[in-house]
Amino acid sequence: MKQLILAISLFVLSAVSAQAATVRTEVIADKLNYPWSVAELPEGGFLVTERSGQLLYASDSGDKQVIKLDLPDLYATAQAGLFEVLLTPDFVTSRELVISYSCGTEDANNTCVVRTKLSAQPPYIVTNSQNIFTALPKKEGAAHYGARMTWLADNTLLVALGDGFVYREQAQNLDNHLGKIVRITRNGKAPADNPFFHSQAPEIFSYGHRNVQGLIYDQARDSIWQHEHGPKGGDELNKIVKGGNYGWPIATFGIDYTGAKVSPFSQLPGVKAPLYQWTPSLAPAGLALYQGDLLVAHLAGKRLQRLRLIDDQWQLEGDYLQELNARLRAVYVAPSGRILVLTDSAEGKLLQVSFEN
Amino acid sequence: MVRMFVAFLSAVVGAALVGTVIQTQFNLAEITALTVDVDMAMRMDTIIHDLLHFGPVFALMLTPTLLVAFIVARGLSLWRPQFERGWFIIGGGLGLACTFWVVDSLAPMPTLIAANRTLVGFLLMSSTGAFGGWIFDRLWHPQPRELAEELPA
Repeated sequence: MKQLILAISLFVLSAVSAQAATVRTEVIADKLNYPWSVAELPEGGFLVTERSGQLLYASDSGDKQVIKLDLPDLYATAQAGLFEVLLTPDFVTSRELVISYSCGTEDANNTCVVRTKLSAQPPYIVTNSQNIFTALPKKEGAAHYGARMTWLADNTLLVALGDGFVYREQAQNLDNHLGKIVRITRNGKAPADNPFFHSQAPEIFSYGHRNVQGLIYDQARDSIWQHEHGPKGGDELNKIVKGGNYGWPIATFGIDYTGAKVSPFSQLPGVKAPLYQWTPSLAPAGLALYQGDLLVAHLAGKRLQRLRLIDDQWQLEGDYLQELNARLRAVYVAPSGRILVLTDSAEGKLLQVSFEN
Repeated sequence: MVRMFVAFLSAVVGAALVGTVIQTQFNLAEITALTVDVDMAMRMDTIIHDLLHFGPVFALMLTPTLLVAFIVARGLSLWRPQFERGWFIIGGGLGLACTFWVVDSLAPMPTLIAANRTLVGFLLMSSTGAFGGWIFDRLWHPQPRELAEELPA
């Protein structure tokens, strides 16, 4: 197929680390309209979400098929749209997916999650779509939805959310979902051992977040890693713990886009300090675990970074893919071990990246 | 001409200074409302930071705004000269309010300046444009009684 022909290997000698690692980049699919997430199917091929609202199936050879979604309340504009697609832990038998998206209208919207069922073989269809979570309150504007998701070892689902930009103080309010990470069951219920089960938003797992764009469960270390956008500076990498307050907007290394201070504090007692922070901002937009390292895809930074945990501190191992000069929306390490990267543009691409030392 | 230029520069700088300090108070009020104490030294540090970093951005926003607003105010002054001071004050205030609206419509974020998220903040920040209008006309066309004011010894 054309896309396969287009799958040209670009052997890129990156000016990266002291080890002068090289990365190989291969195009799996192109002409994707602002792709946001990708999930590898066990039978081969990929599910890809486009922020503009389409769910696609892309075969290994780059053939694409639109999978019709039944999301009548999908709100797609600016930062709003279709976000993450994630297979359930028992996908092989259940064929169920969860999908996050922005739902509502310009005046009243937020992040929603549906659980749906994918047919067994192509041409794929989805059926039995059920809303399992709606972040509340519905708010105005089309910014800061979070929407990254990950499954924990107990098969509960973490859903990252955003502060809606103009509601930043609400990230400290435990009675709503703005600026939180929530933990729910696959049916959308709040587990009884959630830390704020008594509040009006019992789904909350952690709070004080601005706009979470990377979230992954590290089974080997039994840890949850997360990154979020700061404003101007102050992008953060955090280890998420149950009930943790991550400080936004009372403690931040960033300042507002206008140059004004959001808070005079960069750290406060009772607030979890970031394990790593990016100032100036690179806009980290995707997070994956690879051989114990973290891979971080950056939008504004237009690079893939590899961070390594050394002496309990995340340290930069290398910068990659800068030669592409492309905003990177997401990075995944698929069950097959393949590293998948999405570029962010109206002509976005699904790339396979290989490290070669 | 020099007088007009100095008056305009003073209007922009004066409005930028006052507007900066106002927005800082709004931001700090939001932080203290979250039960975080901000002492006076920290408040002063924040004001100084904002004067150095937010102030120039706000001045850039004010410059074209007041330029257009004052041209319109001048036109209205020719029509009703007895209200000249008022035209400049209203022009500066309305002009800045319009600029906030246009910027918020065009910028990716719903509200660029955090202090403008509330009606009170929006009105107070817009009033700095009115203050700029007052400064400009006070310096450009001082009224006879203002010229008669004695300078402090």
